[in-house]
Amino acid sequence: MLFNSIDFAIFLPIVFILYWFVTNKSLKLQNILLVVSSYIFYGWWDWRFLSLILFSTLIDYSVGRALAKENAISKRRLLLWTSILVNIGFLGFFKYYNFFLENFVSAFSFFGKEINANSLNIILPVGISFYTFQTLSYTIDVYKRKLEPTKDVIAFSAFVSFFPQLVAGPIERATNLLPQFYKHRKFKYSSAVDGLRQILWGLFKKVVIADNCAKYANYIFDNSADLNGSTLVLGAVFFTFQIYGDFSGYSDIAIGISRLFGFNLKQNFAFPYFSRDIAEFWRRWHMSLSTWFRDYLYIPLGGSRGRLTKTIRNVFIIFIVSGFWHGANWTFIVWGALNAVYFLPILLTKNNRNHLNTIAEGRLFPSLKEFTLMMITFILTVFAWIFFRAETIEHAFNYTSGIFSNSLFSTPYFENGTLAIPTVLLVVFFSIVEWFGRQDQYAIESMFKNHKVLKWSFYYLIVILIFVFAGSSQEFIYFQF
Amino acid sequence: MKKFILKIVVFAIPILLLAYGLDVYLSNNLRKSNTFAHLEYPIWNDVLEGNLNADILIHGSSRAWVHFDPKILEDVLQLTAYNLGVDGHTFNMQYLRHKLALKYNDKPQMIIHSVDATTLQKGDFFNSEQILPYMLWEKDFQEFTSEYESYSYFDYNLPLLRYYSQTEAISTAFKMNMSSNNNPQIRVKGYQGQERTWNSDFDKAKKLMKGFEVKIDETLKMKFDRYLKDCKANNIEVVLVYAPLYSEGKAFIKNEEVLINTYQKFAETYGFAFFDFTNDDICNDKAYFYNARHMNKLGAELFTKKLATKIKTEINIDSIKN
Repeated sequence: MLFNSIDFAIFLPIVFILYWFVTNKSLKLQNILLVVSSYIFYGWWDWRFLSLILFSTLIDYSVGRALAKENAISKRRLLLWTSILVNIGFLGFFKYYNFFLENFVSAFSFFGKEINANSLNIILPVGISFYTFQTLSYTIDVYKRKLEPTKDVIAFSAFVSFFPQLVAGPIERATNLLPQFYKHRKFKYSSAVDGLRQILWGLFKKVVIADNCAKYANYIFDNSADLNGSTLVLGAVFFTFQIYGDFSGYSDIAIGISRLFGFNLKQNFAFPYFSRDIAEFWRRWHMSLSTWFRDYLYIPLGGSRGRLTKTIRNVFIIFIVSGFWHGANWTFIVWGALNAVYFLPILLTKNNRNHLNTIAEGRLFPSLKEFTLMMITFILTVFAWIFFRAETIEHAFNYTSGIFSNSLFSTPYFENGTLAIPTVLLVVFFSIVEWFGRQDQYAIESMFKNHKVLKWSFYYLIVILIFVFAGSSQEFIYFQF
Repeated sequence: MKKFILKIVVFAIPILLLAYGLDVYLSNNLRKSNTFAHLEYPIWNDVLEGNLNADILIHGSSRAWVHFDPKILEDVLQLTAYNLGVDGHTFNMQYLRHKLALKYNDKPQMIIHSVDATTLQKGDFFNSEQILPYMLWEKDFQEFTSEYESYSYFDYNLPLLRYYSQTEAISTAFKMNMSSNNNPQIRVKGYQGQERTWNSDFDKAKKLMKGFEVKIDETLKMKFDRYLKDCKANNIEVVLVYAPLYSEGKAFIKNEEVLINTYQKFAETYGFAFFDFTNDDICNDKAYFYNARHMNKLGAELFTKKLATKIKTEINIDSIKN
């Protein structure tokens, strides 16, 4: 079920009413309702994959219970690896089996050995990368004794399958989300209103910004061989806004819906395109995944402590794995590696924590230096997104060589290109609103806070823009990851 | 909680109150456009406003729309005519037009139905914007088009909802309201002759495939049978016409002869005429076509003259006039 669908517009109020008016007296009933609703929500795509979620839930719950009773290190390690292997095994099979198979076949054929191997027709279960990482965080935290293993299988099921963030995050830590299922939730007016506001802004980002940019990004990437350099730059910029609007829009909607049900999810995006260097960008982009990799991969590998070569290795590992997490394609791996290349000089010169505050904090405009740094970071990010969006490595290289050609300084031109002007204006409007709201959790959190008329007029404007300019419905990009 | 619900209601009230009025505004202005939605609004308007005033109605797809010139039929047969051809659609939409034409207009004396390989094929909802201004009020649209998945139940029944994301339709409605100057009437009595020369469509199709077989949809076939039966019962003379195809293009659809026979049988069953022009001289001359299945204005006019003469000689027109 898509958040921007009529099905969900019916589903959400029904669950909301049942949650606050029918099951509100019993915590257990509320949790059961959330599990059932989440399974319906997920099963709407393909009910067959519910068994994967159920199996993953039962495995991790059982491992958690077993860890609670076990003190011997070797047995605890065995339990941890059981969970890791099962979860990563599912992910590996559904997402990476064909990729590895095809690459093995290519590698053997490169050395003159031909092997016959048939790839499988595997359908990728929606959101598998998200809920796998979420359940893994539980087992790892229990193993590290950072979290008490739960005895409440219903609460745990609700934690694994919580519908607002099940298919595209934010990837919640068990330490943050699971305890919220133990406590009786009280309806809080201010949280609910805030949730609605965040949903509204998330919808705008998704259906107006992302879906409209997608139309032109898709066209330009699909026809890149026939277009001039400046148009290719425009295509990459459209994709830059598409992926941000799409993914951060989904996160906003997920966080907003959770607030309607009395839950607080962690911020997932903090205005990443206003970053002054790549380190800051990665502190602000898909924060739930970045911190997951930091805590469960980078730090266990030794992080930036120890020898220089080890630090470099760790940085490359975390970025390449992060790229590979997004999909079974060399393009994602190169995208990750490219970001590692961007990041390393900053880390090695110990400048990676230079920009911990918000740009131009307390001021309306950035200084020239801040603006220049922001633009350089933005350009580097746009360039990296080309590899993320391209169909193949060859496509990405052809695309970039197309940019750096004589036609880079010609006027952008593509078929029906003038139709893109409203989209460009909407992106400008969006960027201005984001700039004004950059110190908040989401852009319109305190927009016109003390002017009721202006505030409501602004909300109506957003509703009208969504209604009139919603692009043709596209699935959220991150569902495929 | 009460305060929260009240706030949502207060926020939604202006939207709900305005929805119906805005819907009427957008729909009334949008339908004025002669060019939006592949030029279909003037035809729907005439159907729904009872303005057809025709003794002869022409049904079919784009092969009706660009091939049958009502003016020529009128001149030769001394009967009024209107072309209801609907671009990109198979019999389902043609049947809807027929139903609505009968509902809001005087019964025609004759129907010329342009049949071809795609008539009884299951189609998709091409140009779904063509029903936007009418679907809230005319429930037959829901009955005939809900199977296509372009619109949900709510789109047919709640005001304004179907205009969601229809940026071009909304801007056209506003433009129509502000100025109706740039709104040329292109279809005359539903017909639009195509002043075009042979293009590369057929060559492109040949590169893509060697040909294909058309599968008849049994539900549509039954519908078509019911339609002919109803026409017979209502004393409407039906003429099934297979308009010319460029000779090389005819072979492209491998079972075209089977399909032609299917219509022949339908005609025989109900005692209607069936005119097959797929072996006519027109078919051998590229100058009359712009692609393998569509004639240009030159070809269409020549064909309509031939058809009108054939109708005049082979069908008792006087009985229809009386």
